[in-house]
Amino acid sequence: MDVYILAIESSCDETSMAVVKNGCEVISLSITTQMDTHAKFGGVVPEIASRMHTEVITLVLEDCLEKANMKIEEMDAIAVTNKPGLTGSLMVGVEAAKTLAFLYNKPLIAVNHLIGHIYANNLESKMEYPLLALIVSGGHTELLIMEDDYKFKRLGETQDDAIGEAFDKVARVMGLSYPGGPSIEALAKTGKHTYELPKPVKEQDYNFSYSGLKSAVINLVNKEKKQKKEINKADLACSFQEVAIDELVRKVELALKNTNIKKLVVAGGVSANKYLKAKMEELCKKYQASLLIPRMLYCTDNAAMIGAAAYPKYLRKEFSDYSLDVSSSADICS
Amino acid sequence: MYTLYIDTHDKELVFVLFRDNEVLAQKRRVSEKHSKYAISLLDEILKDNKITIDDVGEIIVVNGPGSFTGVRIGCVIAKVISYTKKIPVKAISYLQAEALSYEGEVIVGIADKNGVYGGKFDREHKLLGDYFYLSKEEYKNYKEKIIIEGKIDLNKVYLYMKDKDSINPHVLKPIYVKRLEVENG
Repeated sequence: MDVYILAIESSCDETSMAVVKNGCEVISLSITTQMDTHAKFGGVVPEIASRMHTEVITLVLEDCLEKANMKIEEMDAIAVTNKPGLTGSLMVGVEAAKTLAFLYNKPLIAVNHLIGHIYANNLESKMEYPLLALIVSGGHTELLIMEDDYKFKRLGETQDDAIGEAFDKVARVMGLSYPGGPSIEALAKTGKHTYELPKPVKEQDYNFSYSGLKSAVINLVNKEKKQKKEINKADLACSFQEVAIDELVRKVELALKNTNIKKLVVAGGVSANKYLKAKMEELCKKYQASLLIPRMLYCTDNAAMIGAAAYPKYLRKEFSDYSLDVSSSADICS
Repeated sequence: MYTLYIDTHDKELVFVLFRDNEVLAQKRRVSEKHSKYAISLLDEILKDNKITIDDVGEIIVVNGPGSFTGVRIGCVIAKVISYTKKIPVKAISYLQAEALSYEGEVIVGIADKNGVYGGKFDREHKLLGDYFYLSKEEYKNYKEKIIIEGKIDLNKVYLYMKDKDSINPHVLKPIYVKRLEVENG
């Protein structure tokens, strides 16, 4: 029997709903982004995000169901991101999901947003275990071993800033538009790696650190400003991007070598970066490992990945009741 | 016909069921986290009265002002029920609901920890001008009398809303009144 899940995602500045079949086939996906609104403030303003989610929630539902040409009655479950994220934003999606689950007497499935990013890969091709999973986003930088569905073992994580956060902050100090990832990537294409920037942290463990690199760029920009010198923005963007991403590559290489696992999945917003993709392809070739990175649409926040991650929980009947709460933080491994 | 009334603007989560023009049942719960209890409370009030959501012919939701998150919870529930089940929804501000208890022109208010939400209503209980928010300091120096009772008469609310038009659930949204810091900058 086919399983249809209606999934809802509202953890940050995208309101999204999707109908996903059997955890791998996207029947419909609707996303509205508030990015332009928040760009004016140089970052996501939580209260504004919550307000905008509230205003569009039924419109997104209508769009999603129309695209799917299905009714809520035909769904087997309602899934929703309940952590991690902005609590006010999460709350809107969770309340809508609970109301739908109640009205149509459907099971409610709570999904961890980060696990959603990993399961976005199932929308492309079925993940086979064991695998190495690298999560790179505005809030997370983690390297994990995934032994089976929902079985995670952490190898390393960032000790300070997430890589996406570093991109955003560096973009801001360079006067580039929010979000910083795409801005830096676009500019880096026309630049060269000329600036010498410090390489993050220790050699032989799997942890990451991006605050040192970020501070080095900020200091450099400020110093040049004081001396009234022009920085070459394209070169600086390129230098920063290469150092930041080469560090990911170095840690993944260490893991490929030490674990002998031959599969790598990359997940989260930063996995949309093409330099990262090219470097990981190169690396996987060297180690004869297979690489999975979702297409751009599934890299950034979307509800289809939540539907994909809800599917194993549906099969195991891991349902939530109406007291389901939201949380700003979440640990994948617990 | 049943009318479902939802009020989540303050610390008390309120669901009321009206039948044939009178209050049939109420469920109230004081909580810091409405999101945890709202749907269970809704489930209870329907079950206790042996009806389902499909027996509800109309929804009245208090769409603010008050706790931002609180108001959003009531609005999201009302929007989703109204849109999916095609049940007409009507919205009333808590200030207007309060004003219904007074004859003639009146200014009513709701106090929160930093100040007072207010609104002036004419003898027909229509809002005059805009809702406003006064800091504690501004409230102290305010020239006109603001009635901050906080009590409403559910029957009056029901009667007042009876001949009002329902609104499209897609456009139903909370009344926030307060400006955000980033908007002032």
